[in-house]
Amino acid sequence: MTGLGNTRLSSFADLERMREELFSRRAPSTKSVHVCTGPGCAAKGSPKLYELFCAAVKQAGADVEVQAKAVGCHGLCEYGPIVLIQPGNIFYQRVEEPDVAEIFRETVLGGRVVERLLYENPATGEKADTVDKIPFYKAQKRIALAYNGLIDPTSIEDYIVAGGYTALPKVLNGMAPEEIITEVERSGLRGRGGGGFPTARKWRSCREAEGFPKYVICNGDEGDPGAFMDRAIMEGNPHSVIEGMLIGAYAIGSEQGYIYVRNEYPLSVERLNEAIEQAKDLGLLGKNILGSSFSFDIRINRGGGAFVCGESTALMASLEGRPGEPRAKYIHTVESGLRGKPTNLNNVETWANIPQIIKHGGEWFAGIGTEKSKGTKVFSLVGNVVNTGLVEVPMGITLRRIIDEIGGGIPDGKRFKAVQTGGPSGGCIPTEHLDARVDFDELTKLGSMMGSGGMIVMDEDTCMVKVAKYFTDFLQKESCGKCTPCREGLSQMLYILDRITDGEGQVGDIEELEILADLLEGTALCALGKTAANPVISTIRYFRDEYDAHILDRHCPAKECRGLFRYEIDPEACKSCGICLKNCPADAITGDKKVPYVINQEKCTLCGTCWEKCPFTAVLKV
Amino acid sequence: MHALRNVLGKMPLHCGVKGIMKGKPMPTVTIDGYKVEVEKDATVLDAAKKAGIWIPTLCYHPAVSCDASCRLCMVELDRGDWRQLITSCNYPVRRDIVVYVSSERAQRARRGVMELLLARAPESQELRALAERMGVKETRYPNVTESQRNCILCGLCVRVCEEIIGQSAIAFAGRGAERTVAVPFRQPSDDCIGCGACAAVCPVGTIKVRIHQEQQEVEISPFKSRAKLVVCEKCGAPIISTPVSEQVLGKIKNMSSEEFRQRIRLCPKCRKSQTAGRLEAAMVYKKE
Amino acid sequence: MPQDRDLIEQIVKRYDGDTGMLIPMMQDLQSECGYLPAEHLRYLSGRLKVPMSRLYAVATFYSSFRLAPKGAHEVTLCMGTVCYLKGAPKISETICREFHVEPGGTTRDGLFTLQAVNCVGACAVAPVMLVDGKYYDSVTPASALEILYELATDKATAEKEAEI
Repeated sequence: MTGLGNTRLSSFADLERMREELFSRRAPSTKSVHVCTGPGCAAKGSPKLYELFCAAVKQAGADVEVQAKAVGCHGLCEYGPIVLIQPGNIFYQRVEEPDVAEIFRETVLGGRVVERLLYENPATGEKADTVDKIPFYKAQKRIALAYNGLIDPTSIEDYIVAGGYTALPKVLNGMAPEEIITEVERSGLRGRGGGGFPTARKWRSCREAEGFPKYVICNGDEGDPGAFMDRAIMEGNPHSVIEGMLIGAYAIGSEQGYIYVRNEYPLSVERLNEAIEQAKDLGLLGKNILGSSFSFDIRINRGGGAFVCGESTALMASLEGRPGEPRAKYIHTVESGLRGKPTNLNNVETWANIPQIIKHGGEWFAGIGTEKSKGTKVFSLVGNVVNTGLVEVPMGITLRRIIDEIGGGIPDGKRFKAVQTGGPSGGCIPTEHLDARVDFDELTKLGSMMGSGGMIVMDEDTCMVKVAKYFTDFLQKESCGKCTPCREGLSQMLYILDRITDGEGQVGDIEELEILADLLEGTALCALGKTAANPVISTIRYFRDEYDAHILDRHCPAKECRGLFRYEIDPEACKSCGICLKNCPADAITGDKKVPYVINQEKCTLCGTCWEKCPFTAVLKV
Repeated sequence: MHALRNVLGKMPLHCGVKGIMKGKPMPTVTIDGYKVEVEKDATVLDAAKKAGIWIPTLCYHPAVSCDASCRLCMVELDRGDWRQLITSCNYPVRRDIVVYVSSERAQRARRGVMELLLARAPESQELRALAERMGVKETRYPNVTESQRNCILCGLCVRVCEEIIGQSAIAFAGRGAERTVAVPFRQPSDDCIGCGACAAVCPVGTIKVRIHQEQQEVEISPFKSRAKLVVCEKCGAPIISTPVSEQVLGKIKNMSSEEFRQRIRLCPKCRKSQTAGRLEAAMVYKKE
Repeated sequence: MPQDRDLIEQIVKRYDGDTGMLIPMMQDLQSECGYLPAEHLRYLSGRLKVPMSRLYAVATFYSSFRLAPKGAHEVTLCMGTVCYLKGAPKISETICREFHVEPGGTTRDGLFTLQAVNCVGACAVAPVMLVDGKYYDSVTPASALEILYELATDKATAEKEAEI
């Protein structure tokens, strides 16, 4: 629904007129119901809620100024489905279909709050009626996610009214390419996809490279398991990426852009395609944008299902219709990339930051963060943490604040054990470093890395050797297989880790893992291979005692590795109900009424059925 | 629009971070202390050859493009306060650089790679010989990946077939440890012309050319691709694969197809004895 | 077959014969046919003048491509870190045991194809299972089986109705 018809904007003045017109149409008294349809909430059925709200709006009649919007990921996925009511920023959590009528009647029409749907702080019992009163959101600073929750991602008008496509005319109407690059340089923006390379430097090198045409690429191949930041941006605010790419293309001298979206994100592809069509209709993409001499087009390519295509040269190979095999980078892609032409590739979040940087200035951005890591970073805070979801925080905030203050700590009364950052290229950080300030260099010093922003919290019941094995297995399967050290080396590492978690570890295994890690780092062809051993090395560094227990004692301290721990029945907790005996497939349990049941360790096959079935949690892992 | 393009295309080059500098026409490589001059964009391996320093290679071949996938030719590049491990076969020399082949770290890297290869392909004589020459007598690693008759996935066969022969009958299939060199759908290939170039470049003895005398066919093993053979009319010895002869015929300018076919009716041995016979007959005639 | 050729022609035209768009072309082909039939690929190879070996390389490199037909339903289990830590392997094991299928394979009766993928990006509600693109959150071995049994029941009902 364009409202103004699909009239092409042929000048900067046209755009401003449109913005004013749209703004004036939205009466300040209009009430708005925002239903989050980000990945987490959608998986819990929020699209249906949106439909119900739309029906309610329709039923209310034309004289009631109210609208319903489906918005992108707002962040607090654990408490989804989330519904926000404007004005007032009222925040409702865990909304279900029967709640819709009540919300509409009480809050939207009546201005009253529905208490039971408000967020309640599990630690203090305090209720919060608005977003800013919720601890999860208080410590956050939202730049890339600024419009998520505010705008309907399928509406370019929403983006324009919210202030989008303000940076683009600023650039086209009076900033020379070198000026733009200097502004980005001033901001100190570093790549948000994992590499952390200074963005302005990359743009400048590409601009100065010889060759035509030049390409700009958006890397939407968010493959790190546990990460869904880019997805939330692509689906929640696709125009921020498009606008960023427009600005970058203008600065570099490119007329053709590509957004490479991983195959597992069909909704992102849909949203981006929709956004591109709308931008094209308005003349914000295509020839002579806003009447200037700048032309730019974007095409979307879907990945085929390969984690390695997140690596820039592999991505480019994929765009050329080849298997996604990385190549040597002695000659950089800014010099010779896609089809041998100068190519500038940046991550989704990097692009999404650009419009804001141009709008508010590089200095503003540089005022946030640490000395070498400016601005904010979106993290996906997941795993054993109370408030799972997406958070955007200034660089330099401590891990402790993210996990405790924003994350709400560890659920079920468990202790924190480690936080894994950087995906399969990263490492695990233990308790003693929780006060580390999160930035590119700090995390690297600790043996991990920022990566794309996945932050997986692990509690005391997590076996760190198993975590290392999980990532090694992941990489071994995703390795392109081209170079010897990655293909063979990961298989060898996996073989050793398998033996260790099976109880067949040998003295010297840890040293062998370290030798292989060193070999991979030095000789692998691409970043996947070079960083592949990080999960193993960081867990050896901080949790060596667990490795030793597996190898020397054939015991898994976290009691996760099957066969390396026992099940025993706690005689004090056992109520002699007999459920365990009935379900034991090995007839290993004996017992009687009023007598604690006992597991015969010789017969026990360690299947864990008794542990699952016991209603009194009397079966213990030992 | 055109104006913008022209302006941007002519921007002057600045000294970028790495490798953007235009560089010298004949940079110097100091390799294990020896200084050699090479042409710009020559590789470190070229420099090593010029200096007479041996670096082991497997996936490198002068006739085809360089992938640097085996990672055997690693050497250290001096970067001032640190040293970078690079593959010598494809690192382009653009300015004066200092390289270490015999440093401890470079040797350790090469040996580590060879040990991994030996674990994968324990039965290749050629690989063992190369390892010996490098001073690697055995591998600490068990065999955990399956290779197709010791194939180490160097890709020389694939590249020769694509770049030199132009048939692209084989390619890499699968990914990671499952990666193999294969013919499409594991069916005998229509594109294979039985020339045996792949067997000629295979460094570990995986690919073999097999002659099936009875069926008058040449087989490229293990790809199971077969092609008909042109055989000697006299003794039946194989001369050339039929598709190859047709390709050759397609490239010859000054010969008719009939004449060409005449020339491949006899194998070299039989042709020699035929010629000798004719000569003898001529000489006998002359005597008389 | 003539309709095969028409389909390929359609797809090639859609992308202006640009060989760089080979992967989207193959994705479209798989959307139509449910997998990548060999004959279609051969025709595509000839049409684009790209060697068959390259198409085969691409088809076997990327996880989303299938060279054999799939089941009536597509069941995808997320094996990302968070889902893994929250018990996805047990769910996978249970499904494989119950339905006699391996990840990547299809049940003998063609009811569903089981795929394991690395992270669908819904980590906050792990473990996640998708059936024909529909998300199921916080899945357990028991609930996963229930969902799949319903598929079987739907199939049986549909077959019965077909008979009638």
